[in-house]
Amino acid sequence: MATIQVRNLSFTYPLADDPALKNVTFTVSQSEFVVLCGKSGCGKSTLLRHLKKNLTPYGRADGNVLYDGQEVAGLDDRINAAEIGFVQQNPDNQIVTDKVWHELAFGLESLGMDNKTIKRRVAEMASFFDIQTWFRKNVSELSGGQKQLLNLASVMVMQPKVLILDEPTSQLDPIAASEFLKTIYRINRELGTTVIISEHRLEELFTMADKVMVMDKGSLIAFDEPWNIGNFLAGDSPEKRHPMFYGMPAVMKIYSHCRAEGVPRYIREGREMSPLTIRDGRLWMESFLGDDYEEGCRHKSETEQEPQREEIIRIKDLWFKYSKDSGNVLRGLNLSVRKGELFCLLGGNGVGKSTTLKAVSGAVIPQHGSITVDGMKVKKENFKELFNNRLAMLPQNPQALFTEITVEEELLEALYFEKISDEEKIDKIEKILKMMEITHLRKSHPYDLSGGEQQRLALGKILLLDPKILLLDEPTKGLDPFFKITLAEILKKLTSSGVTIFMVSHDVEFCAEYADRCAMFFDGDVVSEGAPKEFFAGNSFYTTSANRIVRKWFPDGLTWEEVAEWAERASAK
Amino acid sequence: MFKEGLGETSSFAGCHPAVNLIFFLFAIGITMFSTSPAFLAVTLVFSWLYSILLNGRKAIKTNIVFTLPIIVIMAGINTLFTHNGATVLFYLNNSRITLEALLYGLAAAVLLSSVIVWFGCFNVVITADKLIYIFGKAAPVLGLTLSMIFRFIPLLKTRFKEISMGQRCMGRHVSGGFIERIRQYTKEVSILISWSLEAAIETSDSMEARGYGLPGRTSFHLFKFTPTDKALLTGISVSGIIAAVGCALGKTSIYYYPKVVFGHWDVFTTVTFAAYAVLLAIPIVTDIFGEIKWQQYRLEI
Repeated sequence: MATIQVRNLSFTYPLADDPALKNVTFTVSQSEFVVLCGKSGCGKSTLLRHLKKNLTPYGRADGNVLYDGQEVAGLDDRINAAEIGFVQQNPDNQIVTDKVWHELAFGLESLGMDNKTIKRRVAEMASFFDIQTWFRKNVSELSGGQKQLLNLASVMVMQPKVLILDEPTSQLDPIAASEFLKTIYRINRELGTTVIISEHRLEELFTMADKVMVMDKGSLIAFDEPWNIGNFLAGDSPEKRHPMFYGMPAVMKIYSHCRAEGVPRYIREGREMSPLTIRDGRLWMESFLGDDYEEGCRHKSETEQEPQREEIIRIKDLWFKYSKDSGNVLRGLNLSVRKGELFCLLGGNGVGKSTTLKAVSGAVIPQHGSITVDGMKVKKENFKELFNNRLAMLPQNPQALFTEITVEEELLEALYFEKISDEEKIDKIEKILKMMEITHLRKSHPYDLSGGEQQRLALGKILLLDPKILLLDEPTKGLDPFFKITLAEILKKLTSSGVTIFMVSHDVEFCAEYADRCAMFFDGDVVSEGAPKEFFAGNSFYTTSANRIVRKWFPDGLTWEEVAEWAERASAK
Repeated sequence: MFKEGLGETSSFAGCHPAVNLIFFLFAIGITMFSTSPAFLAVTLVFSWLYSILLNGRKAIKTNIVFTLPIIVIMAGINTLFTHNGATVLFYLNNSRITLEALLYGLAAAVLLSSVIVWFGCFNVVITADKLIYIFGKAAPVLGLTLSMIFRFIPLLKTRFKEISMGQRCMGRHVSGGFIERIRQYTKEVSILISWSLEAAIETSDSMEARGYGLPGRTSFHLFKFTPTDKALLTGISVSGIIAAVGCALGKTSIYYYPKVVFGHWDVFTTVTFAAYAVLLAIPIVTDIFGEIKWQQYRLEI
């Protein structure tokens, strides 16, 4: 039975030249789990919003969207509110009330249910989501992951038949995101709710999905079972690869690459399947390598000794706690960052990574120890000098910086206190616009940009201050894989021009590919550090997924390209 | 037990909001219309007792800090500027300073300070949750609005912190004179406003997606009306109504001008006085009783 049917849907925003959706047709059956993927700005959100009556964007639409055989636009308001659930990106902005229990009840209050019925339904949902322990808390005390779980629960309490999620984990850290996705999976399996979810984090979703939809520039280019998607996007040769290919899980990228190069295929239950999990990936490699395969040499010698560059940030024996009674967040931290490198500090939630960054920028004053930045101690008397062409930090939310109504003016605002001529200012701005690849957006309002574009604008604004050292707090949060590649290129350009970048991140894949040095943070101190190769080869779990597949044979392989090439060579032997 | 105060965990604060609200309506309402020294003394003593019970030792300090200036200022001003009254104490620059004016000033000051102390207790007992419930009963939209305000205050605070930090890391707000600082603050507030307005679009989407705006909205709450609540509510209502009737008949007031006249202390005044004292004692007795029970329970374990 078809729950959602979309027929020849086209949509154009007012004043836009090109349609945001072009002739989209698909059917989602009852209790299916569908993943929608595509580049930022390809029309994913526009499409999803068409499935809910009051969220449908304004503009010119053709075609039909049917829910249970009925036009969505003509649905009864109560059915629309209760049966189609919608969860958006930002955990904070969706919460309406001050208490967890009240938020859970919000939708049921709207439907006009009595106290007893609401209580029963809320109790059920709180138990299903394991919310009981924080049921009476204030929403402001929750973590980002809990907030998003609350948003999901307060939609589920209305017992929707269809659940639509628009990039729900983009603002969460990897562990909270994985927790959230597992809950979605449970909802689909245990309650039979139809799920349509758009996401960038595909590693896990591909193993859960019944079907994957791929969108490109407003058209639906593929709608198939997950294992076929990789091969479809890979094309016949590297040149013919669809850009979306780079957003696929590492296992699929490796497999598709190898498949095109003639490496034996993965046969399971008598038919070919593209591996989706790390386990599948290993089994597949096992099948063509055999048990006794051993890689001849570890490329120990390859890591050539670089000349020791000068230290630009030096942290010595740093101790910090937020209040007298709380535990220490930093415990005797020693760390140094060298000039012109991209240094990544990795680690789980709440281990003190962000606090370290705050200490370097002077936002918190440690109780013991010292920080020297570019030969200058971080302390109150030095702040003016420190932030004068020395140190700059990009906040996690780029909105925290935006004051003007166009991108150009936003950048000009950064130069407000600089004593240089207007021509020079314009010159500088032009350069930054080009470097950040946002020249075409110069007249847009900062809030009209997508998340990735806002990130680049904020970074551009910071760079106009001409800092020698750049501090970044989770810069890859909420970015799609393509923006990540662009961001990496920008960061590389900066480091090669002598800027030092100190970045705090959860994003293992990004750090493995682009960092010069990585450090693992745990319990207030750095526990291991080194160049990505040695750093990740020494870890067994905390490493890239490509590395987890092949670490038995090829511990140095970090990125999927390295692994794919190695697999090709290995199978030829 | 009384060092820190019972706060929100006290037995009376754990009662149904209706019980709390009706108590405070009676207590504060009758206090506001009483000028008789006997009634003022009762309300002053009980308000202090309850305040200390709720807030512990620190209540003594805060109450003195808040009420002493009021008493001094009000008694002073009334004595200096009101020249009514028969008993002249002395002349100041040819103005009569009378005993009646001084006494009336004192009585009004005691009244006002008791009301303030009662409101201090109200603040502890009627939490945000209860306020939302009470307003929600009157009109669901009102309750929801309050709840949204309580949600937004901490949210705006965190956002403002992040903005300030972002600006600081751009080298702004680090130094500068008064004008510079005002300018910087204005900028930060303007960022906060545009950010919040932008975010509010998503909030309204999320509200509408969950059916906000459908007719017949209800207001959910977690409060239970227990037999204890019923008993307390009966006690409060009976004593409160008797005291209120007495108050309406003028049993709780006296005349100060031109001479202080204590009204005739009849049986009904006694009944009013007793009812008023019982009313004001109810929360204190409930709390102490609850505390004793708790101590016994702890000893039994």
